[in-house]
Amino acid sequence: MHEIDVKAGLLEPNDAVARENRGLLAERGLYAVNLMSAPGSGKTSLLERVLPMLAERHRVGVIEGDIVGSADKDRLDVFGGPVHQINTGAACHLDARMVHHQLHHLADDGCDVAVIENVGNLVCPAEFDLGEDDAVMLLSVTEGHDKPKKYPLMFRRADLVIVNKMDLLDRTDFSLAAAVAAVRDVHPGVAVLTTSCRTGEGIEDVVAWLEWRIATKLAACAAQPAGRTS
Amino acid sequence: MHEAGIALNLIEAVLKRLAGEPVDRVPPGAGLPRVAAIHVRVGELAGVSTDALDFAFECLSARTPLAGARLVFDPVPLTVRCEACGQTTAVEDLVFRCAACGSERTRIASGRELEVRTLELEEGALAGARD
Repeated sequence: MHEIDVKAGLLEPNDAVARENRGLLAERGLYAVNLMSAPGSGKTSLLERVLPMLAERHRVGVIEGDIVGSADKDRLDVFGGPVHQINTGAACHLDARMVHHQLHHLADDGCDVAVIENVGNLVCPAEFDLGEDDAVMLLSVTEGHDKPKKYPLMFRRADLVIVNKMDLLDRTDFSLAAAVAAVRDVHPGVAVLTTSCRTGEGIEDVVAWLEWRIATKLAACAAQPAGRTS
Repeated sequence: MHEAGIALNLIEAVLKRLAGEPVDRVPPGAGLPRVAAIHVRVGELAGVSTDALDFAFECLSARTPLAGARLVFDPVPLTVRCEACGQTTAVEDLVFRCAACGSERTRIASGRELEVRTLELEEGALAGARD
């Protein structure tokens, strides 16, 4: 039997474009965050709260990933910044290629912050690097505190985990302590914040975390001015 | 959950490798050598169903020179390397802390792999001309 080496990564076609996206973001001084969660955890509601606050200090653009329709884009259009809709058709996640052109548009538009709202799904989006700076994921209390151990890849991938719908905590059997313990098993040391998009509780903490990450990224870009064009 | 796309990437990577490199014992211009087996390394946390990937490959390779090739999956265990004590330990029950010293400062050392490693060619057998 004759054997030959191949050594080809099977996600390489996506990862190659993700690397390109990462280069674009660095070159243009653009911070990108990939927001992921199950359907109905409150991604768009969170953005309705967070975007106006971020927009006070930044030019923020949004990339909305949905299988079909523009319901979320319509909700976010009111905040005033550019909102680009991507309809994935049947696909259950965004991939690096889908967001590539939109990131270009946002950079050309003078944005320094790109918020990518991924398709609601705890499985597939975790496997596709978009080239983003940070992955933020939402877990809502109505989903249950066992989710981190059921979807380890997603929680492993996250740079920040937000427990949302805290206003419903006493209506459910959700244990915040158990949820945080499970998150920390899967991803020791990851930041965890709690919010209620209904009452506004904790939103300032999310904005502060993002401001810290944006400042870190933009400072790093400024330190390497060679590629900076804007 | 997107094993069809991964199967297509796999087929493309293998065909590219076969076409791009001179292969021993295959006369030039004789077409692609027939592949008996494709070894794929799949990490415990790769997020891929090997059954679904196998099925997708069978369907999608049917009209390619890879038709009939077997996929052989080599599982890769999930381990973390500790930045505090330097040891590499297995991840049990999805607890990613260091099993040796308990530190939280760990990085995944293995278990995310998803790659074609090697091909086994059938002895002397050649496929027909490429499409």
